[in-house]
Formats: sequence, C-alpha cells, structure tokens
Amino acid sequence: MEKRQPKENSLGVKGWVWAGNYKLERYLYLIHRVTGLGILFFLLIHLLMATVFRIQGQDIWEATMVLLHNPWFKIGEYLVCVAFVYHALNGLRLILQELGFVLGQPTPPIYPYKDSLRKKRPWTIVMLIVIVLLSLVFFYDFIAGGW
Amino acid sequence: MRNTRLWFLQLVTGALIAILLGIHMVMMHLDTILGFFGIDAVEMHSWESMIDRAGQGIWASLYIALLAFVLYHALNGLRNIILELAPSVRTERIITRTIMVFGIVVFIWGAYVPIALLAS
Repeated sequence: MEKRQPKENSLGVKGWVWAGNYKLERYLYLIHRVTGLGILFFLLIHLLMATVFRIQGQDIWEATMVLLHNPWFKIGEYLVCVAFVYHALNGLRLILQELGFVLGQPTPPIYPYKDSLRKKRPWTIVMLIVIVLLSLVFFYDFIAGGW
Repeated sequence: MRNTRLWFLQLVTGALIAILLGIHMVMMHLDTILGFFGIDAVEMHSWESMIDRAGQGIWASLYIALLAFVLYHALNGLRNIILELAPSVRTERIITRTIMVFGIVVFIWGAYVPIALLAS
C-alpha cells in the first residue's frame, strides 16, 4: 500500500497560493505554475489552428492567418512568448537546483549562517535578468516585424 | 517510486521542450532578428513555407515528438497541481486516468495532420 500524505496536512486550494513564509523563489514557483497552465490552454487553441484549419487547404489557412494578425491576437501571442521564456528559464533553474548543480559547497554552520536559499539567490537574479532581456528581444521583433 | 519516475520524466521532457520549442519560437517569432544574421526566416507563416516544411519527414517527426513531450509535461504538471489537494486513492485514480485518456486523444488528433500532410 502506497504511503499517503495525512489529510490533516493538506492546505486545500489555499495551499496553491499561500503556504506560509514565502520567499522570492516560492513566488517564482507560483508564476511557473500559472504560466504553465496558460501555455497548456494556448497549446489546445494552437493545435486547433495547426490541425483543423491547416488540413482544409490554402484558403482556410490564409484566412486564419489574416485573423491571427489582428493586434489583439498579436498581444496574446507576445504574452505567450514571455510566458514560454519565463517557464523555460525558471524550469531550467529548477532542474539545475534539483540535481544539485548550483547549490555551492557545503559549509560548516558558523554564524552568520548562509543557508542554501541565499547561496542560490544570485542564480535566481541572473535568471530574472535574462528573462527580462529575452522578453525585450521578442518585444522588439514583434514591433519591428509589424503587428 | 512511480511518482519519482514520473517526476524524472517531467525534468527530461522539460529540457527537451526548452530546446525544441526554443527552435520553434525563434523561427516563428524572431524573423526580423534572424534576418540581421543573414538567416532568411521571413514568411514562415505563408502557405508555401508551411507546406514545404510539412512535406519533410524531419520536420514532421520533430513536431510530433514535440507534441508528445509537451502533452506529457503539461498534463503531468496539471496532475501534480490537482493532486496537491490530497484526494482519496479512488479520486486520484480517476483524475490520472481522465488526464491520460485526454492526452492520448489530443496526441492522436495532433499527430494525424502532420502524417496526413506528409503522405499527401
């Protein structure tokens, strides 16, 4: 029989957004989930475009492309790009940390303590800077390429 | 053990998606910047360009692989979020099976068109 988490430890729906003393990384994790769900929603719409409208021939495809070049769709597309950039880079940070790559060497617990969260914080800051830069690159291309 | 294996696959598919979807995003959305580097990626959304790629086995294979990785990664992620509500064993089984059936149906639906276009 598989061991299960006791029900009294469950925080329910509230636990999705608040589980106590949250730090920066925990909020990034929350955004990771929100962007993930957003991308899943987009994937289903995108599949509809790539299947139903694509298989029906050139006229339907081109009419769909005209519709998708509407500025509102372009704004949505840009938000999906930013969500992807965020989810991918934050995900790579999570993978590296989970596999123990960016946690630094273990140190003796001598005051003032430097816990693992502070040790890996610089990587988090670098990741956030790269996300902002890539989002600006995509923004430039969306504007320069014409909405 | 089962959930550990599922989580490990989540990490592997995540890394593969970052590469494959990264290529897709750069090709589809960074055409102006690619142009600066002499790479002609203009008109990627035109019918001719799309049909040309759809006729090449390598592109069809990459897109089908990407679809499989993305569906696994997204639906397993969704399952993990829902299971945080600590449902009963029976409810967990229903959730897992519903998500699996949904994923398989969407995969068949999504993979059919590239194969049909490749064969045409």
